[in-house]
Amino acid sequence: MANIFPRWTNFLPFKIAICAGALGVGVVAGFTYYATPKTLVVGYQPSQPIPFSHRIHVEQLGLDCRYCHSFADVSGHSNVPTSNTCWNCHQHVQTDSPKLQPLRNRMDPLLKHPDFGKPVEWVRIHKTPDYVYFNHSAHLNRGISCQSCHGRVDQMEVVYQHENLSMGWCLECHRAPEDHLRPLEEVYNLEYDPEKYLAKKVDGVTNAERLGVTTTKDLGLKLKELWEIQPRESCATCHH
Amino acid sequence: MSKRIWQHPDIPADENTVAWRSVGQLENTADFRNWLEREFPQGAAEMADESEAETSRRSFLKLMGASTALAGFGMAACRRPESYILPYANAPEWVIPGKATYYATSFPRAGGATPLVVTSFEGRPTKLAPNPSHPEKGGTDAFTQASILDLYSPSRSRRVLKGGKPSSRAEFEKAFSALAADKGAKIGFVFGRDDSPTRSRLVKELGSKFTSAKFYAYEALEGEAYKAAGSGQSQVVDFSKADRILSLDCDFTELDRVGPTSAFFDRRKPEGGDYKNKPKAEGMNRLYQVESVFSLTGGMADHRLRVKPSELVAVAQEVLKVLGGGTSSARYADWVGTMVKDLEANRGKAVVVVGPRAPEAVHHLAAEINAKLDAVGEGKPLQIVKTDAGELGDIVALQKDLQSGAVEHVILFTPSNPVYDAPSDLKFGEALAKAKISIHFGLRTDATAHAATWHVPVAHYLESWSDARTATGVYTIVQPMILPLYADCASELEVLTALLSDEGTLLTGEGEEEAPSPAYTAVRTTFSDLAGDSDEAWKTLLREGFLADSKYEAGEFAPDASAKNKALQNAPKGGEIEVIFATDGSVYDGRWIDNGWLQEAPDPISKVSWDNVALIAPKTAKELGLYEEIVPLETPTAAVPPDGEGEHRTGKLISLKVGETTVEVPVQIGFGQAEGTVIVSLGYGQGFNAEDELGRTGGEGHVGLVGVNSGFNVYPLRSTKNGYFAALAAAPAKTGKEYSLAAVQEHHSMYGRALAREVSTAPDKKKGDFDKQLAKVKKQGMDSHMPPNVSLYKQEDRDGNSLLSDKLHQWAMAIDLSACTGCNACLVACQAENNIPIVGKEQLAKGREMHWIRMDRYFAAQPLKDKEGNYVEENGEKVYDEENLAMIPQPVACVQCESAPCETVCPVNATVHTEDGLNAMAYNRCIGTRYCANNCPYKARRFNFFDYNKRNPLVAHNLYRGPLGEKQVGTSAHLQRNPNVSVRMRGVMEKCTYCVQRLKDAKIRQKRGQKQAALASGDSTSEAIGVKQLRIPVDSVKVACQEACSAGAITFGNMLDGDDSRMMRAKGIERNYDLLQYIGTLPRTSYLARVKNPNADMPGAELIGKATINMH
Repeated sequence: MANIFPRWTNFLPFKIAICAGALGVGVVAGFTYYATPKTLVVGYQPSQPIPFSHRIHVEQLGLDCRYCHSFADVSGHSNVPTSNTCWNCHQHVQTDSPKLQPLRNRMDPLLKHPDFGKPVEWVRIHKTPDYVYFNHSAHLNRGISCQSCHGRVDQMEVVYQHENLSMGWCLECHRAPEDHLRPLEEVYNLEYDPEKYLAKKVDGVTNAERLGVTTTKDLGLKLKELWEIQPRESCATCHH
Repeated sequence: MSKRIWQHPDIPADENTVAWRSVGQLENTADFRNWLEREFPQGAAEMADESEAETSRRSFLKLMGASTALAGFGMAACRRPESYILPYANAPEWVIPGKATYYATSFPRAGGATPLVVTSFEGRPTKLAPNPSHPEKGGTDAFTQASILDLYSPSRSRRVLKGGKPSSRAEFEKAFSALAADKGAKIGFVFGRDDSPTRSRLVKELGSKFTSAKFYAYEALEGEAYKAAGSGQSQVVDFSKADRILSLDCDFTELDRVGPTSAFFDRRKPEGGDYKNKPKAEGMNRLYQVESVFSLTGGMADHRLRVKPSELVAVAQEVLKVLGGGTSSARYADWVGTMVKDLEANRGKAVVVVGPRAPEAVHHLAAEINAKLDAVGEGKPLQIVKTDAGELGDIVALQKDLQSGAVEHVILFTPSNPVYDAPSDLKFGEALAKAKISIHFGLRTDATAHAATWHVPVAHYLESWSDARTATGVYTIVQPMILPLYADCASELEVLTALLSDEGTLLTGEGEEEAPSPAYTAVRTTFSDLAGDSDEAWKTLLREGFLADSKYEAGEFAPDASAKNKALQNAPKGGEIEVIFATDGSVYDGRWIDNGWLQEAPDPISKVSWDNVALIAPKTAKELGLYEEIVPLETPTAAVPPDGEGEHRTGKLISLKVGETTVEVPVQIGFGQAEGTVIVSLGYGQGFNAEDELGRTGGEGHVGLVGVNSGFNVYPLRSTKNGYFAALAAAPAKTGKEYSLAAVQEHHSMYGRALAREVSTAPDKKKGDFDKQLAKVKKQGMDSHMPPNVSLYKQEDRDGNSLLSDKLHQWAMAIDLSACTGCNACLVACQAENNIPIVGKEQLAKGREMHWIRMDRYFAAQPLKDKEGNYVEENGEKVYDEENLAMIPQPVACVQCESAPCETVCPVNATVHTEDGLNAMAYNRCIGTRYCANNCPYKARRFNFFDYNKRNPLVAHNLYRGPLGEKQVGTSAHLQRNPNVSVRMRGVMEKCTYCVQRLKDAKIRQKRGQKQAALASGDSTSEAIGVKQLRIPVDSVKVACQEACSAGAITFGNMLDGDDSRMMRAKGIERNYDLLQYIGTLPRTSYLARVKNPNADMPGAELIGKATINMH
């Protein structure tokens, strides 16, 4: 019988397999690179032991961030409030709410609950790797708001991760801080709107006129120059 | 391009100095050349054999293939693991999560407490630093720095033992309260040689409650100084008043603490301690050292006389005789005669200090000399003070009382370990067994703990309330940083107060609810007696750490002639070869044997870690026929020397016989020590297990993993009469046995000459006077004829801006070799600050130590000339002058080159330069190619061959077991970690960072000022913030090594501060030079040459301070 397939076809299956394989790898790699979020945790929204609502406490009651996160502008860590901070109010307010039962168990000595005196185990949402030394106070005291990294927490019923906290994302801002800088007075004001700030009149002069800027971008650049903001991009800034 | 080849100029015939770090370098062995040329010795960077191989490349690929395939099935690791935040339930006062708190306390010890400031993170003490506001202005030594590790040591005693077996606290308390109830009990209390006012007060009360009680003090190396100082008195030297110092075997800068030394070091710098003056020889002090070992103080000395320890008495007598107008004919007549003239010329400003361990007679003689030199009294260099402790019995008295039954119960608080370290003729173990009840309080379950009826873990000084006196008698507080880690712990004051109460209830830690702890109350009472009981005074004490203007009362200076004559008669006799029982730089008297940092820190002189060795001077070794045994002869071309290299290095065991006792110790060559002496340090060989390479047994359970199988015990040779040295009954003999040693002296050897430089205030015939020598410091060694390389890399970015663009801070350091003694304090401080792991003896021998600071120690000698000025030759070779051997230490860490060779070779940009001049290391980026280390001319980089932090390197073969190895995550030692420094894992490179975490912290703290300014002005946008607000205050940040240095040898700061910064002033003086300048790396750390201040009339003066001026 004559040969149906010429000799060169001997390696054809291998070649097809290699091409198909390469294509497959390429598609997967391309999809991974272009179509997936930079890290997988944006929107991470675990349920907490106590369903604490930032919306109620901040938007409705008007608490400042620092009432609970009291050391955010002092320390590298922004502390989660001690149970005592909650208990200051909640031994008087919402004393029957079943949602607060875990807190009462821990704080009310009269209940004689086995959990008394133990900390509340809040599930961590924002996490950088161990080798990253992010410092809250360095940012807050230089005009970077909570909102730049955490989003509109004041409107969140349940907190979720708003930004991906990847190194590339950090560097974006370190290269162009003007997009995020705001007057120190506005750092904890999550409703801050630079347009409104510029239009606001103090003693009959708008902030825009006083600072000699027109656009919000200019405002950022002005603050950067005024305060000598020179964010570092070298490794040792965060890794040591 | 080829390497630059230099035609080195011919060296003038009379300008030859030899300098060496090890005997191998002196003899130029193949082994040494290997260390020089390679980063690690042959084989250290490869898997040695199959059994050690955790994974070969082949099996690694197999495994990886399989696991990648499996990953396709599982997708197991896609979920983010849930982690939790646990805030406090009730926040403790002052604690801010993530911020350190600082408390003043002190480390109580013999020779005066060390005042400290402790860094605490969330209630967890992590780092000790000297208290800068304390009037004594001292630093901290390596022991103090390492003492924090003892708090967290995994081998720390945690449970009450009865007869060496685990028991319970409740059972002990029963026995204890019975003892407290018995007012007639014949109790003997044994304290340490530290001085605590509260303890002394309680001792008086105890004396009136227990009428038959007796009180003793004991520390193994207390020496004999206390016998001569007068009852309840001691001597304190004020070095600021001392222009001339004669030290008789006194290592006062390190191991023999006789007074605060910062003034001494300030006066070693010809420009003054702050580098503010023009260099002047007149401001410097002059140190004459008479000693038998080569101590670090001896290395600083301007003139040094080597004598056998038995000759010390004779030297002191000689000095006295010459002072009295006599002349002498002894072999050191010239030396002593000229020196005494100098001392007399500086009457009132000259002082004789004696090593506390020198024979009693020397102390008496020195007292007479000091009296003649008018050295004692107010405004003079020597003060006699009355201590609080008063007179306490010594170990000899205790042993007698135990034997006679005058003492029936013993309570031991001494930090020493008398069953192990008391003079052997006392047979203290037998005496202790006679006691009805013996209670041992200690941090370790050592020999005494096992021999006593009860052992109770003592609270660490960072866990207890107490007080102490510093050397000059400043009242300082000891306050707890943390509650005792283990429930069984009790502190000394807690025990004493419990004994004073009728019920004898032992209250420890916080004490009873609603009441202050008894130790706190006791200290507070003592303090009220001194400074009133106002809360304000007490709070000031707690904040500052000391009571201002407090000091010891002046004592009476009365040299006692009859005691002197008696002591002279009883002075220990010498012999042909004398063995010196030296104080150890790592374990002291043996109490630090379980401290990994100290054990791994190389001995400052011998550079041996983890063991003690016998040191013999080369000439004596040759005479005894041991030299060839220690330094095997080889041809220069032999590839591998006969005794192996690196991990295969061994020491030959020799036997030392004193009286009828013989011990065997590995021998090494020791330079600069007296001929006819063998130096062995004490404190080792406390316990062994099955892993011991010589198959030794005994001391089971006495030491933890750090101290087990470590070194050789020479205490058996020591007796009451021969506490410091003894004549050998027979010449040291070879035994044919070998023992592996880990010595770091050749590790990380650098190419180049005159690395550590030295000049002299005395004029040199060829090189000119002091000023001329100073002017030539930068041109010593290779730099005399080699112009620096020019970097091809521009320090500019694409736009032509300098890469060192920071306008606020440019960090730099200067290290003054004139003040550096080479004591390892910086090395240990760095280890504590930067989470540097220990690697164990086996890994260290391979050159894998992780210390970021390496303490190089160079010896240098000049060729000897005879009276006619001709070179002395022996077998056709020049003989080098060993009498005036120079020893120059040089700490080397990463010098933060501006033009760093390591950065250009990193394939992944893991090591890069920061804008403020640091050579930064991004651990998480490093892939471990080690190119950077290969390219570092300073050999300052360290590689994590294993996960030393996670896997315990001290368990035998553990590192090679891979995932099956024993882990040490979560052990108590990890509580010491600095939370602001990454704990490095396997396979990454690391090195000195200039404590970048501290710099960052200081900068951020400074930025907070902007907020304050904004709040003050009412509008943050109204005012510009500039350099003035953002630059940290001058010299306000200190790096860990600088902070620890008691000599003030390290200065660090911001180059942009100009001459306001102490560091910049130091860099501005003529002694400043760059290490390996000709390479053109532009290092940020520079060195200041050492200055010797010899007396031109002394014999051999022309050879002093010349270690490097003749190097080309």
